[in-house]
Amino acid sequence: MPTIVAAPWQNRRRRVFQSVFQIDLSQPTPQSTPCVRFPDQGQPFGGPATTAAALAAGATATLSGSQSTILAEPSRLSYSTQPLFPSLAAVGDDQVTYDRAWHMVTARIALPPSATADDSFGTLAADSQQHPASQQASFSSDAEFYQALALVVHAPTVLPGATHTDDVVAWHAQQVRAHFAQHVIPLLSGCVDDNGDEKGNHYERHMVIVMSSVRTLEAALRLYFYGLGLLMRGFGRLVGGSSSEAAAAEAELLATRFRRDIQALVGNSASEELMKSISIVLARLAGTILGIPSVDDLGADPVAASRRPAPPTVDDFRALAARQRLHEIVEQLHNVGLAGERFQVLFAEILDSIMSKFVTRAYAGVWTASSSNTRSFSAATNTISRTPNPSSSSPCILALSDWVENHFARLSFEILSRVFPDASSSPVTLSDVRTYQSLALGRLAALRISELFDIALAWPSSQGALDDLRATITTTARRLQLTGSFSRALQTRLLHPGCSTLEILRTYIAIIRTLHALDHSKVLLGHIESSLQLYLCQREDAVRIVVTGLLASPEELRLVKKVKDTAKRQHREKAQPGLFTTPAVSRGVSRTIPSTVGRRRRDSTPDIAVQDLPDDQRVSPCSSSTLVELALILNDDPSQTRRNAGAVPDIGGADDDLDWADMGWVPDPVDADVNYKRPRSEDVVGTLISALGSEDVFIKEFASVVAGRLLGEPARFDQEMRVLDLLKRRFGEAALQNCDVMIKDVQDSKLVDGVIRRAREAQVGGGAGRAVLSTPVAGGGETKEEGETEPEYHARILSRLFWPDLDREHFLLPAPIVEYQRWYERGYEHLKSKRKLTWLNQLGQARVELELEDRTVTVDCSTVEATIIYAFQGADDGSGKPARRSVDELYNELQMDEDLIAEALSFWANKGVLKRVGQGVYDVAETIDEGGAGGAGQEPGSSAAGGASYEPDVESPRKASGAAGSSAGTLSAKEQERRAMYWQYIRGMLTNSSTSMALAQVSMMMKMLVPDGFPWSGEELQEFLGSRVANGELEVIGGKYKLVKK
Amino acid sequence: MSYSMEDNQNSAPGSVPATKLGGARKGTEPGLNASKRLQTELMQLMTSPAPGISAFPSADGNLLAWRATIEGPDDTPYAGLTFKLSFEFPSNYPYAPPTVLFRTPIYHPNVDFSGRICLDILKDKWTAAYNIQTVLLSLQSLLGEPNNASPLNGEAAELWDKDPALFKIKVMDRHKDIEEDE
Repeated sequence: MPTIVAAPWQNRRRRVFQSVFQIDLSQPTPQSTPCVRFPDQGQPFGGPATTAAALAAGATATLSGSQSTILAEPSRLSYSTQPLFPSLAAVGDDQVTYDRAWHMVTARIALPPSATADDSFGTLAADSQQHPASQQASFSSDAEFYQALALVVHAPTVLPGATHTDDVVAWHAQQVRAHFAQHVIPLLSGCVDDNGDEKGNHYERHMVIVMSSVRTLEAALRLYFYGLGLLMRGFGRLVGGSSSEAAAAEAELLATRFRRDIQALVGNSASEELMKSISIVLARLAGTILGIPSVDDLGADPVAASRRPAPPTVDDFRALAARQRLHEIVEQLHNVGLAGERFQVLFAEILDSIMSKFVTRAYAGVWTASSSNTRSFSAATNTISRTPNPSSSSPCILALSDWVENHFARLSFEILSRVFPDASSSPVTLSDVRTYQSLALGRLAALRISELFDIALAWPSSQGALDDLRATITTTARRLQLTGSFSRALQTRLLHPGCSTLEILRTYIAIIRTLHALDHSKVLLGHIESSLQLYLCQREDAVRIVVTGLLASPEELRLVKKVKDTAKRQHREKAQPGLFTTPAVSRGVSRTIPSTVGRRRRDSTPDIAVQDLPDDQRVSPCSSSTLVELALILNDDPSQTRRNAGAVPDIGGADDDLDWADMGWVPDPVDADVNYKRPRSEDVVGTLISALGSEDVFIKEFASVVAGRLLGEPARFDQEMRVLDLLKRRFGEAALQNCDVMIKDVQDSKLVDGVIRRAREAQVGGGAGRAVLSTPVAGGGETKEEGETEPEYHARILSRLFWPDLDREHFLLPAPIVEYQRWYERGYEHLKSKRKLTWLNQLGQARVELELEDRTVTVDCSTVEATIIYAFQGADDGSGKPARRSVDELYNELQMDEDLIAEALSFWANKGVLKRVGQGVYDVAETIDEGGAGGAGQEPGSSAAGGASYEPDVESPRKASGAAGSSAGTLSAKEQERRAMYWQYIRGMLTNSSTSMALAQVSMMMKMLVPDGFPWSGEELQEFLGSRVANGELEVIGGKYKLVKK
Repeated sequence: MSYSMEDNQNSAPGSVPATKLGGARKGTEPGLNASKRLQTELMQLMTSPAPGISAFPSADGNLLAWRATIEGPDDTPYAGLTFKLSFEFPSNYPYAPPTVLFRTPIYHPNVDFSGRICLDILKDKWTAAYNIQTVLLSLQSLLGEPNNASPLNGEAAELWDKDPALFKIKVMDRHKDIEEDE
């Protein structure tokens, strides 16, 4: 025993240690026992004169002694002490008597020295009435044991002389602890390890681990409780003798405490691996019960793998089996003490993950509302400031609630009631179930929020999902979460250069409608759309797309509607067979739901009847290249307004806010802006327009688009007028006055045109059959006149101030046309004195009829193109050679911009009228096959050489008394102007702010200072500055731009 | 009909940033109007520049601090010279005049040696109808027609009438082109 000779300080330290931890209790045999028989151990104590000091020394000795040595003692000792025992009491040496009695007892309940296999526990349990430690059960009798036990227990009274006594139950507990640590834990880890490398079924492997661990523990516990049982029986006898109720209760208390100790021991010592195995087994079983098949299960079966999870039906064999198995396992775990706190945490985690998994797997992408619901829903979206009936929960929510109530909560109840078998109240109360449901709905909300972008894209077929969201987004926190996540999605999925503006706008419309359906207050939308608006402002074509969308022609609308109708029908047909696509519904639970939905729908019908719209107007068309949706919506608007007027009696335009009759009124949302005003309707157009910046920008763009269309085909402008009327309702008369004037100009032009024409005809003297002028604009029919056809000429007179800037392109028109212009001018000045006409030659249209050798070509083209082809007629000198002109010639002759000439030439070349014969030189292609063949069989002298007969119908709009400076060059006049302005900025900057600036700095300043934003990228700016450097206006010094000093 | 929508909208406190944004949008923040006005003025200056004067915000991008340049008018002692000025705009501009200083040293009856200017429209005669361009034009004409009745530089006022030649010499002595980036 090396500790005996150890340094004194070591002793002291040990004493301190002992004073804290009662180590001597842990020893299976009392220290004093061997003193008489085994003096050879060299222990100084023993005998009557035992002292406290000796005891302490003994304690230290046994402390360091090996467990097995001490455990080995009992057999030897009990062997020899047995005959002595009866006489012990008479000896009167209390301490010795006590020690012997103690020894007797402890030897009897001592645990086996080692346990190498499960069997050792097993056999032990089988003959648990036998002595546990040895084969010599015969020498010991129950009577002796109980006698000794009595001595030990009643030591204070029976053996007053025994100064050193112990609590035998505590000793047993201690012994069990040591035994557990030394033998059972290795066994347990063996259970885990043995199967560690085994390939094969994942779940099965863990199941084996759990089961073997449980068996091991069960055996060990049987062993431990055997000892306790003996003690208890002994106590019972003693109590029987003294008939003390209190003692019995105390014994019971001891037993309970022991049990709890052991369970805590087991629970706390369970290894991570074991807990992991348990969790895997539990997760698997619970998953099966709750309808989420595990990966193992599905394995190679892709069909099953793609199936959505659904709660098992009542007669699902596998679920029943799993349930059975789970119950068994939980009971077993509880029995061996593994169902402690860690288990509960584990189980909670499993249920949590199962709930998430179920929600995600079962409902991701399931957005379809029941068809009956769709109707009420689309109606609801049209209600103004009226909440749709929120009780009409979507199938998803109903199914989820049902799942939680009937499966999730049930499982939870089953497990918890097994873990707490003696709990007085039910472990899962009704309010718990409600909590579960709200948790599940929260998860559904999170899922839907993450899907929201796709939901918006899928609008309106995603109404079911919106129903879910509306029902689940109940707190401001969730609303914030929604807006946050949606904004992020926007940034990553929409607002990047990869998306066309049309796509963005289309998505935006879908978003507006989706979020409106979700939240009529528009507050959510307001939170989201700022980034979208900012981004849209960078897209220059956004406004134009919106405007052209609004002006989409009725034909386009009809087309789109037709497409949608078919799509809708197909969709309906497809949706017919399975009324609900939610898995839960399609399985066993479904029976209740259809009726519920049906009833709810009936409830909400009164709302709908008024508001119902043709369904097809709610579907977004995706196939066209313009934003036809907008036209649909805009056309939709008036009916809606009317309906509202009918539904809510509007008393002379009373204040909207004071609509006392509105029974659907709700307060403004709390997260609304201060300036928040409840919108009256979905108002897609309004929202979109406001998103594009100010109304002014929009109206300006609208005016310029309308101007283009008015100058375009000479058709009627019904569509424009209608859109204009609708927009007027939105923006007011004043804002759209320009457009009014424009339309009026065009209409007046027709009148003026007629008047001037009649005057002319009177002058010319009834120009022979040319009087077919009933329709001044059409004029297509009169072309087949005689050779000297007099061109039919119409003009549109535009009021300069009211039309958007129209650039004037200078070129010389063919002489006959100039002639016409002249008399037209005269006529006009005669009609309206003190007004002048300025011709905008390039904006007209012409119908040109070309008589070529083998064919006659009639083309509608621009005046520029007509002028060019007319020039070829002039070139024909009747010499028999094909008319040939070069770009340079045309340039000199017509004073037209070269680019325009080139464009027009290629236009005619495409039509097959001209052919290119050299660099910038074109011939008339008199015959159709005269491609590049070089003039095979041409008869240029033929009458057709008069070829390009400049044909009537030229319309050349002009501005009254307009004076626009023409600007040539590759850039448009506007662009030139802009560049000049930018140059002013840059010059001012370099003159004043800083004499030399780097590119980035210039760019930054420009971005900050140019009022309507500076659209150039760094490269564009660099190019621009580079051109200025080339001009000698700037110089670059050290990477910084500097003005050249003059 | 059920009213659970109400709960959606009222169950928790609103988001504060939104409220703040709303406040800012109203334009109550001082300096915002000034910046806007200055941006417009800059636009005007750039689109219709007057000869001999130019101005631009300072290089740090602060719209309330500008730099300007005036070329000395012909037929004055300042002909051919360039003068740099600095403008500091108050946040309630244009309801208060900017502070204008000559940064280029100048010998002038109404400008002191630290560049301060005595000009009524920059003091009590200021109205919101003035702008940078009018101020610069006034200063340019001041170079040709000093107000000798209330001089900051008495000697200059005296010499202006008595000895134009000496005045011119003094002007040339005093003038020194400054480097912008000092």
